[in-house]
Amino acid sequence: MANTVNQANTRTASARATAKKRRNQLPFAILLLIGIIIFGFVLNGIGVKLPIYWIFGISFGIVLQKSRFCFTASLRDPVLTGSTSLTKAVLIAFAIASVGFAAIQYSAVQAGNPVPGFVSPAGWHTAIGALLFGIGMVIAGGCASGTLMRVGEGFMMQWLSLIFFVVGSLWGAHDFSWWKATFMTNAPAVHFPSLIGWPAAIFGQLILLGALYLIADWYGNRRSSQNS
Amino acid sequence: MKLTETNFYQKIVRDPWPYVTGAVLLAILNIALFTATGNPWGVTTPFSYWGAWIWKAIGGHPESWGYFAEGTAHGKALMQQTFLTNGGSIMNLGIVIGALFATLAASQFKIKKIKNIRQVIAAVLGGLAMGYGARIAFGCNVGAFFSGVASFSLHGWIYTIFIFVGAWIGSKLLVKYLM
Amino acid sequence: MEVSLLADYRLDCMGEACPVPLLKTQKKLSGLNIGDVLIVEIDHSCAMKNVPEWARKEGHNVDIEETGDGEWEIYIEKTK
Repeated sequence: MANTVNQANTRTASARATAKKRRNQLPFAILLLIGIIIFGFVLNGIGVKLPIYWIFGISFGIVLQKSRFCFTASLRDPVLTGSTSLTKAVLIAFAIASVGFAAIQYSAVQAGNPVPGFVSPAGWHTAIGALLFGIGMVIAGGCASGTLMRVGEGFMMQWLSLIFFVVGSLWGAHDFSWWKATFMTNAPAVHFPSLIGWPAAIFGQLILLGALYLIADWYGNRRSSQNS
Repeated sequence: MKLTETNFYQKIVRDPWPYVTGAVLLAILNIALFTATGNPWGVTTPFSYWGAWIWKAIGGHPESWGYFAEGTAHGKALMQQTFLTNGGSIMNLGIVIGALFATLAASQFKIKKIKNIRQVIAAVLGGLAMGYGARIAFGCNVGAFFSGVASFSLHGWIYTIFIFVGAWIGSKLLVKYLM
Repeated sequence: MEVSLLADYRLDCMGEACPVPLLKTQKKLSGLNIGDVLIVEIDHSCAMKNVPEWARKEGHNVDIEETGDGEWEIYIEKTK
């Protein structure tokens, strides 16, 4: 054991010797922060809601980058590398968000308003679109949020991916009418609480997310003992 | 003691955060965004606007498409908004800048150039597939997967199943052709 | 006995997109002997997390060093 530590220390020392000159980028970060704040004020002059979107965007970007959060990896790694740590994290995010969203939706409905949130027609277009998206995100090395995050981190591959992401979006918008006529007009937008009641829908979803978490946990641990 | 040597800087600014920390914060942010703006988090709808504004500027007529029909939210955004006045666009720009800020603060920023033609093909095909798929499925990993499931919508769960299948297919393609 | 200052094997994963660094690491490591050390060179922020995580889960000795702005070296000593 001591030999390993010595080896590691020696190699670490060698790494420090070969390490490139490090630049302290913190001054750039401070400058950027000042720019971020100024831009917030500029936006406020254009529209009162815009600074809110700006602050949320900045926050999402920081959280995504700091935690190296990757939805792509959460779906890809169980099969490709055997890891489910991000899968479990995504499930936790879903569970917490579900609780908060339920509260928002419930109070809106109680006040007599339509259900807020993203409830869209569910049909073959959903399946095909999600399939396409899943293939694309793994090939491109990042999903929608991941691509934006990596654009900010300096990955030129994602700069290119973003350009074609926009092209693909325009193409999809162009073809949208066809998909609507073919698949969407008969596809229902189903909101579970409206269908089976709030308690059943909320607990059902949380239990399902919890079950998926347990499966992911078991699977992630199982793979490592299989590999050795 | 220099700022960069403090425990705060090392642990919070420089070191990566745990995945679960990110998960909790993203969920809370999504809930807060939903509360503040009336809509949950989504990323790709503004991409269709960016494409359409550019297309319109170079002579196209996206306003004649069903997707941008007059009176619809997309139609209004196309004709009445610009990048700087569209909330979703500003938020997406914020994600880019926020990630840049976090990387710079940790002194970990580096431009990573494209390495080979395989990466070009992957970025082009992958980007196109994501853009197209997100339009017809009403969202991406954020709007349809994350926010759709959190909204208790059937389409979110169908999306979940098929994005997983797609990721599996994409992995096979990646290993076979793009590595 | 002088321990060699240079590690046994280097794997250059600079500029690779997710999840290539981890896949290449898994492949390379499977071909090494117990006691060999693999140094993986990366500049991907995801890989500096998912490669050590995988290697530790497999039971190997892992060390990671930041060697430049946005660049890391991951030392993996194969233990089994």
